[in-house]
Amino acid sequence: MSARDRIERALTRLVTASATERLAISLAALFASILVGTVLILGAGRITECATATFVLTHPTPFGLPRLFELGFCYNPVTVYDRLFLGALGDPLSAGWDPFGRQMALTLRETTVLLFTGLGVAVAFRAGIFNIGAQGQLVVGSLASALAVLQVAPLVGGAPGTAVSLTVGLAVGALGGGLYAAIPGLLKAYADANEVITTIMLNFIATGVVGYLVLNHVKDPDSFATQTRTIPDHANFPTILFEPTANFSVIALAVGVVLVGVIYYLLAHTAFGYDVRTSGLQPEAAEYGGVDAKRTIVASFGLSGALAGIGGALYALMILGKFQTGVPSYGFDGITVSILAGNNPLGVGFAAFLFGILKSGAGVVNFATEVPPQLVATLRGLIILFVAMPEFFRLLGGRMKGVQRRLGRESDGGETDA
Amino acid sequence: MDRAVHLDGITKRFPGVVANDNVTLEVERGGVHALLGENGAGKTTLMNVLYGLYEPTEGRVVVDGTEREFDAPADAIDAGIGMIHQHFMLVDPMTVTENITLGNEPRKWGGLAVDRATAREEVQELSDRYGFAVDPDATIADVSVGVQQRVEILKALYRGADTLILDEPTAVLTPQEVDELFAVFEELTDAGKTIIFITHKLGEAMTAADDITVLRDGKGVATVPAAETTRESLAEMMVGREVLMDTSDRPHDPGAETLRVEGVSVTDDRGVPAVDDVSFSVREGEIFGIAGVDGNGQAELIEAITGLRDPSSGRIDFEGEDIGSWSRRDRIDAGMAYVPEDRHERGLVMEFDLTESGILGSQHGEPFTSNGRIDWDVARDHASNIVETYDVRPPDIGAKSAALSGGNQQKFIVGREFERDPSLFVAAHPTRGVDIGSTEFIHERLFALRDDGDGVLVVSSKLDEVQLLADRLAVIHDGTLMAVVDPDDVTEEELGLLMAGERPARQLESQRVDGGEP
Repeated sequence: MSARDRIERALTRLVTASATERLAISLAALFASILVGTVLILGAGRITECATATFVLTHPTPFGLPRLFELGFCYNPVTVYDRLFLGALGDPLSAGWDPFGRQMALTLRETTVLLFTGLGVAVAFRAGIFNIGAQGQLVVGSLASALAVLQVAPLVGGAPGTAVSLTVGLAVGALGGGLYAAIPGLLKAYADANEVITTIMLNFIATGVVGYLVLNHVKDPDSFATQTRTIPDHANFPTILFEPTANFSVIALAVGVVLVGVIYYLLAHTAFGYDVRTSGLQPEAAEYGGVDAKRTIVASFGLSGALAGIGGALYALMILGKFQTGVPSYGFDGITVSILAGNNPLGVGFAAFLFGILKSGAGVVNFATEVPPQLVATLRGLIILFVAMPEFFRLLGGRMKGVQRRLGRESDGGETDA
Repeated sequence: MDRAVHLDGITKRFPGVVANDNVTLEVERGGVHALLGENGAGKTTLMNVLYGLYEPTEGRVVVDGTEREFDAPADAIDAGIGMIHQHFMLVDPMTVTENITLGNEPRKWGGLAVDRATAREEVQELSDRYGFAVDPDATIADVSVGVQQRVEILKALYRGADTLILDEPTAVLTPQEVDELFAVFEELTDAGKTIIFITHKLGEAMTAADDITVLRDGKGVATVPAAETTRESLAEMMVGREVLMDTSDRPHDPGAETLRVEGVSVTDDRGVPAVDDVSFSVREGEIFGIAGVDGNGQAELIEAITGLRDPSSGRIDFEGEDIGSWSRRDRIDAGMAYVPEDRHERGLVMEFDLTESGILGSQHGEPFTSNGRIDWDVARDHASNIVETYDVRPPDIGAKSAALSGGNQQKFIVGREFERDPSLFVAAHPTRGVDIGSTEFIHERLFALRDDGDGVLVVSSKLDEVQLLADRLAVIHDGTLMAVVDPDDVTEEELGLLMAGERPARQLESQRVDGGEP
């Protein structure tokens, strides 16, 4: 059996894997990434100098023989992974676990924002569009939302004020992100411009223009930072249930979970979703089926941007309480979240949670160990890479001729006739 | 018996499908052996096993008395097996000689350079030996499809093939070219070569083959000498029951024009004119056929009518209205059904299951969708109904469209389009790859549509099919309509000449192109 045969056989197996098998594969990949990461941690721990070794490996001495070696490592891989995962969840295995504690709140805060950007990218992917511009759409949505709430909040006070401000904030964030995403949508639909290029460029434009606007027109005069004035407290997302200093609102998470359901329903149960999926899978068939390709491109781009824009609104209204330049890369992480989830809206929830754990867990590791942040970032990257790879190979395998042949899809390919 | 090839008890399983089930094939050296069967019967799979493309799940492959295990086509070629696929694998801008010797070029200067002179000589010699009359210096793009096919055969011979497998070799040929191909078969067998050809056309198997092996549902039914069998018994073996050969009766009583095409020109994807100033009309209660060799503009013409391609000039009227500015969806909603030429690209979404593919084109309207929400229960009933009525196998509406064999995909599409209850039915190759039984059924439905007073436009390169179906028959060549003829008053030879762009001696244009009242 040739090497090519082996590869094709393995990919075929992967393509035909059931949902349970895929879950098992993901867990195995996670485990493998931890093994590789352990080797990295040990290696790095050997070449670093430290006063006391935190991890010591000794040769067992069963017959009272002298020890052959005793190796010390500066970093303890068990501690690192313990902090990364359990630390991020606020130590669920310890007796005094507080599921509403600060660390859990931080994890869920990251999860919430990534839920929106991931969902946005996934919607575009399903329509056959690669939206790399989620970051720019998030930035635009974030500023638009902050400015709108700064206008609205002083008008209505109290609990009604919170409701009105948040509704307006989310709506304006969605509108801002959606309109900004409509630009590459229109360019693709009517000028045949490749969306990968236009969205990358529009990311730079968004950051630049927003920075200019804040600095020159809406800057908080009392601050040295490039930021808007602070939004009144009653117009922020209320931090109920959870530790308030973590700036996490379970209401925002609830909105996210509802939207996951809405997007799932939209794709699976509406004519619009049918058009989107058909366009994404087979544009020629969509054209045959009477789908208006241009409209579908613009609409799915707009929807994608609106979701990223809501993520931006949360950044302003939940995390910061204002808009400030230097927005973290939620939009780019959203691309990875979406791929990790196989572009499935329901999967985005889980992928965003994994990302949230890794992001907040990294902070815990930095705090609890001497391991340098660069190494922690590498470990995170390894986990994402390993977990995403099986999905990647599934996508790849599904397109390979040899694999399709093995699946018997081409078994009648030669038999067209005249 | 001196056997060139012996496939012994071949079984080939794909996930969920048994494509070949214990098939035995014995091919006599120096003969022509036809592999006959409906689509999805497993003919191509069996030949792919012989050619090393598939590994058999069970069974032995014996070539020239030696048992072989082929890992790849290269091994099969070494064993003297050559295969000519239906879609030629030639490099258009290169010459005949370059194509034939590609990968096996004679070398000079210690292997550093291609010895073109020797290559040309060898090709010329090979061509002369079998009386092929192929110019070694011609560019592939400039020669006809028939010549290209001969180049493919020469390529296999150049690589030392003693046994040639041809997959549906006549699909792309005009009737004259088919005759020439069968003459080539004789030359080859006289020289001791063995030929296996795949077909589902009874007539061809009877004419060209010495022996015929019939496959059905992946199983070998029988091997019979062509001289000792009849069309009827072959058809019965293929289908598994008695088949009534279609007979045509034409209660031709057409009504008003439902489709009118006037001076329409269309360009293809590269911007090259593909259809040049074509005019015709289809009337209610009439089947209008367009015959022609594939690639003469019929695909572009159909796409212009159905709204997938903008004509560069001309006017198209549907039920008296100019539909030039109508979108594809407008045309679907107005009652235009369309069986597209390419079922993999257009007709079905391969990743969708049959329920989802079953509403393609109807996803926005009643009964499937109200207020933008799709009622999947209705869609499922719809798909079940198509699957049942049109005998789609496997009858599983949850199966992915890609999992069906080509013939069953076609039946599903045709069924879906019939179920639209159209007022104009446009069909490109409606029975392509469909078995005899279902072809019969599809033809009956087309006749029924016509008898109900709907217009039908059929494009096909199967002459017997368009001749049978059409009330009026146009022949297209190089983007223009050569003639509109009465299909009962024209011979296959005359049609072949028209399809090749030549005018037959007899005056045929008995009918006006626009089909106005006589």
